[in-house]
Amino acid sequence: MKKFISFFLLTLLLSACSNADGESNSNTQPLQDTSWEEIEAQASETTVRIHMWGGDEGINEYIDEWVAPRLQDQYNINLERTPMDTGNILQKLYSEKQANKQDGTIDVIWVNGENFKNAKENELLYGPFRKQLPNFTDYYEQENLAFDYDFGTPTEGYEAPWGKVQFVFLYDQEKIEQPPKNFEELKTWISENPGEFTYPNPDDFSGNAFLRHLLYKGAEDTDTLIEEPFSKELASEAGSYMWSYLNDIQPDLWRDGKHYPASLAELDRLYSKGEVSMTMGYNEARAEHMVEDGVFPESTRSFVLESGSIGNTHFLAIPYNSPNKAGAMTAINFLLSPEAQVAKLQPSYWGDNTPISLDKLSEEDRQAFESLDRGDSVLSNDVLNKSFLPEADAQYVEWIKENWKDEVIRDK
Amino acid sequence: MDRLSKQKKIQFWALTLLFFILPVVFLFLKSVVLNFGFGRSSGIDFTLRGWETLFSESQLIQATLVSLGIGALVVFLNLSVGLLAGKALAFYSFKGKALIEALFLLPLIVPLLAIAMGIHVAMIRIGLSDTWIGVVLIHLVPTVPYSIKMLQSGYASIGTGLLQQAKVLGTNRWHRFFSVELPLLMPSIRSTVFLIFVISLSQYVITAIIGGGNVVTLAMIYFPFLDSAESTVLAAFSAWFALLPILFYLSVELLLSLLPYQNPWRTRL
Amino acid sequence: MKLSETNKAWILLTPALLFLSLPAYGLFSAIWTSLHENGSFTTKHYRTLFQQETFWESIGYSVRITLLSTVLSLVLGLLITRAFSPFIQSTKGKLSIWLPMLFPHFVWGYIVLLLFEQSGLISHLLVEMGLISSTSSFPIITNDQNGIGIILTYVGKETPFVVLMLLPIYAKQQDGYKDLVQTLGGGKWAAFKDAEWPWVSPVLLEAGIILFAFILSAYEVPFLLGATFPEMISVLTYDWFYSGDWNERPLAFAAMIITSVLIGIMSFIAFSAMNRKRMLLTKGQG
Repeated sequence: MKKFISFFLLTLLLSACSNADGESNSNTQPLQDTSWEEIEAQASETTVRIHMWGGDEGINEYIDEWVAPRLQDQYNINLERTPMDTGNILQKLYSEKQANKQDGTIDVIWVNGENFKNAKENELLYGPFRKQLPNFTDYYEQENLAFDYDFGTPTEGYEAPWGKVQFVFLYDQEKIEQPPKNFEELKTWISENPGEFTYPNPDDFSGNAFLRHLLYKGAEDTDTLIEEPFSKELASEAGSYMWSYLNDIQPDLWRDGKHYPASLAELDRLYSKGEVSMTMGYNEARAEHMVEDGVFPESTRSFVLESGSIGNTHFLAIPYNSPNKAGAMTAINFLLSPEAQVAKLQPSYWGDNTPISLDKLSEEDRQAFESLDRGDSVLSNDVLNKSFLPEADAQYVEWIKENWKDEVIRDK
Repeated sequence: MDRLSKQKKIQFWALTLLFFILPVVFLFLKSVVLNFGFGRSSGIDFTLRGWETLFSESQLIQATLVSLGIGALVVFLNLSVGLLAGKALAFYSFKGKALIEALFLLPLIVPLLAIAMGIHVAMIRIGLSDTWIGVVLIHLVPTVPYSIKMLQSGYASIGTGLLQQAKVLGTNRWHRFFSVELPLLMPSIRSTVFLIFVISLSQYVITAIIGGGNVVTLAMIYFPFLDSAESTVLAAFSAWFALLPILFYLSVELLLSLLPYQNPWRTRL
Repeated sequence: MKLSETNKAWILLTPALLFLSLPAYGLFSAIWTSLHENGSFTTKHYRTLFQQETFWESIGYSVRITLLSTVLSLVLGLLITRAFSPFIQSTKGKLSIWLPMLFPHFVWGYIVLLLFEQSGLISHLLVEMGLISSTSSFPIITNDQNGIGIILTYVGKETPFVVLMLLPIYAKQQDGYKDLVQTLGGGKWAAFKDAEWPWVSPVLLEAGIILFAFILSAYEVPFLLGATFPEMISVLTYDWFYSGDWNERPLAFAAMIITSVLIGIMSFIAFSAMNRKRMLLTKGQG
C-alpha cells in the first residue's frame, strides 16, 4: 500500500517539475553513415517489435507464421508483433515525444496517408533510412511518385513501400450479371434495385475512398486535382457533382439512405448476409480471403469503373525512439525482398499487391510473381494498372468528412 | 401464498431466460454457425472456424493470463481503497462530505480518454508507461468510484449498531474487521469483485495508450476484430470474453471457501 | 490517543483521496490542453465549439438517449428487485440475472445487433413463423435515428447493475417497518412510500447518476449501434480526436470538458440534496 501511495506522489511531483520540455532535439541519426553489413551485424540477436493493426487473420498469420521464423533463421532476429491501432500508436509516440522519451518500445510501424502526415509533421519518425536498404535500391524504382509522395506528403526516405492496394467494388455474380461500367450506369442500377446498395459513411477509410472517386469524376481536370495541393476552390468545384450524385442515389440506398454503415465491416456483414448486393474495399484481393472463409458467397467478383480506381501504397516506418533501429531496418529490408513480397501476394495469406518492379527481378523471381494465381475474384493486373489513379492531397479526405453530413445527411 | 410464490418463480425464470440467458446462448450458437438459413442455402452451416481462428491467435493464452492478473490486482486495490472510504462515507459525518462524494464520481464523469491522455505524459516521465503497473493504475480510474459507492452502501445497510456492539465487547480492530465487518459485507464485496473485474477486462483504449502495446490484454486482441466481417470469429471471441469473469469468480469463491473462519460465503443474510 | 470522529474519517479516506489525484491530474491537463494553443492561453476552442450546430444537436440527442436508458434501467431494476428478491438471492438466480454483467458493453452491444438488426435472428424467426412477410418489413431498431438499439443495449446491460445495487437493501429489509405501517392502517402505497422509498431512493439516485455519467460519455455502444446522424456526443468527440487532422484535438478536449461539467453539476446538486437524508437514516438504525 505504501509503495502504491508513493507512486501517486511521485507522479504529481515529477510531472509538475518537468513541464518545461527540454527541446534538446536529440534527433541523432547514428545509422545514416553506417554500412549495411554493420547494420545487419548489429541487428543479429536482437528483438524487433512491430506494432500494427491486427484485425485481419490473414495478415497476422503472414507475419507470425511466414515472416517471423524466416527472420529468425536468416538474420537471427526475434520478431514480435503487437496488435494496435495506428491512431493509438501515434498517440503513444506523440506523448513520448512530449515527455522527451528517447528509448521507446516500438521498432517498426505500418503507416500511410494522414497518419504518416501527422507522424512526420510531429517528428515522430526516424529517418531518412530508405536509401540504405539494399532490397529497396535493387528491386524498386528509385524515382516514383507513388513512393515519393504519400497522399501528397513527401516521404523523403522516412518510409519504405511495403505494398499497394487498389480500390474495387465487389458484387455477387448470381445477383448481378453485368456490373455497371461507369457512375451513370451505377446510378441506374441503384434506382432499378432500391435498397441493394450503400456505402460506408466517409469517416470510414473505404467510404471516404468511394467518395473520392466521385470527386475525381466531378473535377474538370482530374490531373490538376491530383497534382495540385489542396484548395477549397478545386474541392467545391469538383464536389458539386459528387454531392448531387449522392443526393440522387440516396432515396434508393439501403434503408432509404437514412443510415449508412459506420464501417466497412458493417457493409461487409450486410453483403455477406445478402442484404445488399455490392460491397467495396481498398484492396483488390480482399474478397479471396472472405470467400475462402465462407463469409462472402463464392460467386463474389470485383469490378472497377471506367473513370478509374484509386490506388495507394502503404509503407513501413521506424519511430524516432526505436531502441533497435538496426534491427528495424534489417526487418524492413527483408519485408521488401522479392521472397517476402511473393509470399504476401499469396491469396491464402494476405493477397496484398507488391510495389516491387518486376523488370528489376531475376527471371526466376519474376516467374514466381507472374505465375501466381491471385484467385477468381481478383481482376487481372492489366485491368488494374489501366484504371489506376493516384491519391490526391490528404486534406481532401478531411474535406469530404467535414462536408458530407451537411450536404447529404442534414436537412432531410 | 405458496401458489403465489410458485407463480412468481415461473415469472422470474421466464423473465431472466428471455432477456438474459437466451441472448447469451444465442451468442455461443452464433460462434459455430455460419449464417442462419437465409434463402440461398437451406438449413444451417456449422463451422468451427471461429474457434479455430481464436485459438490460432498466438497471443490468446498469454493475453488471457495478463488480463486475469491485472484484473486480480485491480480488484485487490479496489477493495482496499473502497472498504476504507466506504466506511468513512457511511458512518462519519464531516464538513465537505457532499463535495467529497461528488469528487469520487469525478473519474466517471470525465471521459476516460481525456484523463488517460494527460496521465500518459506524466507516466512516461516516471517510467510507469509501458508497464503493467501503469496499466493497473489507470484501470483504477474507471473502477474505484464504483467500489467506493457499492461498499459505502454495503456499510450503510449494516448500520453502525452491530459494529458498536462488537466494540463494546472489546474485540480488537482487526478481529472486528475479519469476524464482524467482512462477513456482513460479503454480498457487497462479491458484487464489487465481480463488477470491477469485468470493467477492468473491458478497457481497451486506456490499456493501449498506457500499456503502449507492451501489455497485451485480451481487449487489445479483441478490438481489432470488430473491424472484421467474420461474425463467427467475433462471436467466439465474445464468448471467450465472458468465460473469463466466470473463471475468475469461481476461483475467488473457491479461495474464500477455503478460509478457516465460519465460512461467511455460505451464510445467507 | 483518541482520534476525533472527523479525523478518523479523513484517515480512512486517505487512500481514496490519493487515488483521486490520478484522474484529477488527467482532468487538469485536459482542461489545460483545451485552453491553450501554441503555448498561449485562448478560449478559441470553446468559442469554435459553441458555434458548431452539430455539437449542440449532439448534446441534446445524447442527453435524451441517456435519460431514457437510465430511467428505464432504474425502473426495471427496481421492479425486478422488488418482485423477485428472494429468487435473486439464490445462487442460481443471482448468476442468471447477472449474466449480462459478465460481458463488456461492446460485446453486449454486438449481441443486440445480431438479434435485432433487420437481418438478425428475431426478424428471421418472425418470418419463419409467418408473422411478417420478409425481413425487410421488420422495423429498424438498430443503428436507428431514435437510438432504440442503443437504449436496448444499455437497458439490458444496466438493469442487472441496478438490481445489484438494490439487492443489499432488499436482502436486509425486514418486513417490520412495512408491517408497522400497514398495522397503522397504511395501504400498500403508503407502505412503499414510507417503509421502502426512503431506503431505496438514495441508492436509486446514486445508481442513476453513475449510469447517466457512464452512458453519456461511453463510446463503444453508440459507435456500434448508433445512427449516422444524429450522433452521440462521445462518438463525435472520438471522431474529432482520432480524425486525421490533429488540429481538431483541442476541440475534442473542449467537448469532453463541457460534457464533464454538465454531468458534474447535476451530480453535485443531487448529492447535496440527498446527503442529509441518508445521514439521518444510517444514524437512525443504530
